[in-house]
Amino acid sequence: MDTYNKALNILMKSPVTDDMIQFLTHATLQVMPNNTAYPSPPGSPKKSRLPSLRTFITKLVRYTNVYTPTLLSAVCYLNKLKRILPKDAKGLPSTIHRLFLACLIISAKFHNDSTPLNKHWAKYTDGLFSLEDINLMERQLLQLLKWDLRLSNEDLILDLQYLLEPIKQHIEITTRQKKKMLAFKKQQQKQEVYKHMRNLSVSSNLSSSTLVNSTSYEDLKCPSPYNNKSTSRSSSNGSIKQIDIWHDNNMPNDLSWNLENHPVAIASHNY
Amino acid sequence: MSSQFKQLEKLGNGTYATVYKGLNKTTGVYVALKEVKLDSEEGTPSTAIREISLMKELKHENIVRLYDVIHTENKLTLVFEYMDNDLKKYMDSLTVGNNPQGLELHLVKYFQWQLLEGLAFCHENKILHRDLKPQNLLINKRGQLKLGDFGLARAFGIPVNTFSSEVVTLWYRAPDVLMGSRTYTTSIDIWSCGCILAEMITGKPLFPGTNDEEQLKLIFEMMGMPTEANWPGVSQLPKYATSSASFQQQYPQQQQSKDLKVLLQANCKEKLDDVVINLLHGLLQLNPDMRLSAKQALHHTWFSEYYQRQT
Repeated sequence: MDTYNKALNILMKSPVTDDMIQFLTHATLQVMPNNTAYPSPPGSPKKSRLPSLRTFITKLVRYTNVYTPTLLSAVCYLNKLKRILPKDAKGLPSTIHRLFLACLIISAKFHNDSTPLNKHWAKYTDGLFSLEDINLMERQLLQLLKWDLRLSNEDLILDLQYLLEPIKQHIEITTRQKKKMLAFKKQQQKQEVYKHMRNLSVSSNLSSSTLVNSTSYEDLKCPSPYNNKSTSRSSSNGSIKQIDIWHDNNMPNDLSWNLENHPVAIASHNY
Repeated sequence: MSSQFKQLEKLGNGTYATVYKGLNKTTGVYVALKEVKLDSEEGTPSTAIREISLMKELKHENIVRLYDVIHTENKLTLVFEYMDNDLKKYMDSLTVGNNPQGLELHLVKYFQWQLLEGLAFCHENKILHRDLKPQNLLINKRGQLKLGDFGLARAFGIPVNTFSSEVVTLWYRAPDVLMGSRTYTTSIDIWSCGCILAEMITGKPLFPGTNDEEQLKLIFEMMGMPTEANWPGVSQLPKYATSSASFQQQYPQQQQSKDLKVLLQANCKEKLDDVVINLLHGLLQLNPDMRLSAKQALHHTWFSEYYQRQT
């Protein structure tokens, strides 16, 4: 659980990524799985067609510069809704857009000391929803959720597991690697002492080679799916691999990847 | 408004609402009806959203109970437990001529105990009140005191929240918040509790500043100027440099903190003992990390008659 909490802190400090938007889109669609998203009719040329949910979310994120925690907490409200709404709930094609927007507004109002007014939110939808629409969806959501807006770390961890898992694994790998590195350094130090002792005492049976072999070099070179730099470096030039291993042992750089620059933050921005 | 309640006289104007006395027609019980006019441009105010969602869960005898919420297109009505008075009005009513009077010390102690009990419950439930002051402490004829007005309250403890330093009514605002800290926690409410305790004793606000700068000046005059030695990290606060510079310009000599006891005793008819002054110092520590927690304050010797009775 502790690692999940760490991962949660890292995730919340990362900038909004395309991955997160994809995740939010999916979570929103799950609220009403039977709301078949048939394409909106062509309509008159003046009226804008309903954008895809993903485009809608992407634009909102871009216009509002919403904080990652505010955005991701909206998922908890969407999941709460999913549990509350009847399984066969159906609505208009724009209903899912409404659900997402209402959850985002509530998340912003509950978690931040200063937030946009609803008239601003209306502007951010590019005319898709009027101020009256927004006030109504906000009121309806508050009633559906029975004003129960508090979230715990456990709620967040459960609902954001998909995004947290890679970060958690990354942390675990890094910690394991650090531990091994420490152990190896200790071994090395011991070895030095033993060597020293052997020089002093002729009767010593200690073999330095067994000590060295007890730590597998391959284990130390822990592959990370995120650290492309390190994998490409070792694979592109096999001949320096051996040196690299030793090099790594002496350099803590590769071990303490800056967690603030976590993969989620590095993930591609396609929009 | 729902026909379940009969609206009676106006009790007061809050920051974003008007409060009326109401009568529950079915049960005959009095309630307080807090009416929030909805501005269509804003939608449901975030203050109301937080007050409702946080108070719904806070069921404690020293916290005003929220019974119900009536939400229509133009109006949001919060139905609260009815209380006779608030601490501010009560203290004002004791004024003789132009001289504010402190409360009797046994009542001060009973009120402070209840304030800390209610606050400890908030903090246990990971809620900061962020606007403790006599106006927001409701009392009744039985001498009960309850925390009210959670319009500025916030949940804490999850990595989701962003905080503003524009919180708490100026006179009751902690020095770390005045210097721009946004990483405050439960200690923000404890400072207010210290200010309220002193005010109950003398009948006068302890630090009645008119702006942020003067507020800090009043605090430093009384409690001394914070330094890296007694408050590690203080120099990193956004407004530390400017406030300490202007203070030192005014007082080039190293300031010793004034004697709180002498100051309070001048405005208190009963004899103050060192125990209550010790509690005050525990609540009014400049360094937020050094302030007592609500739970610790409840275990202070000054309250021994209460906790000894309980066990």
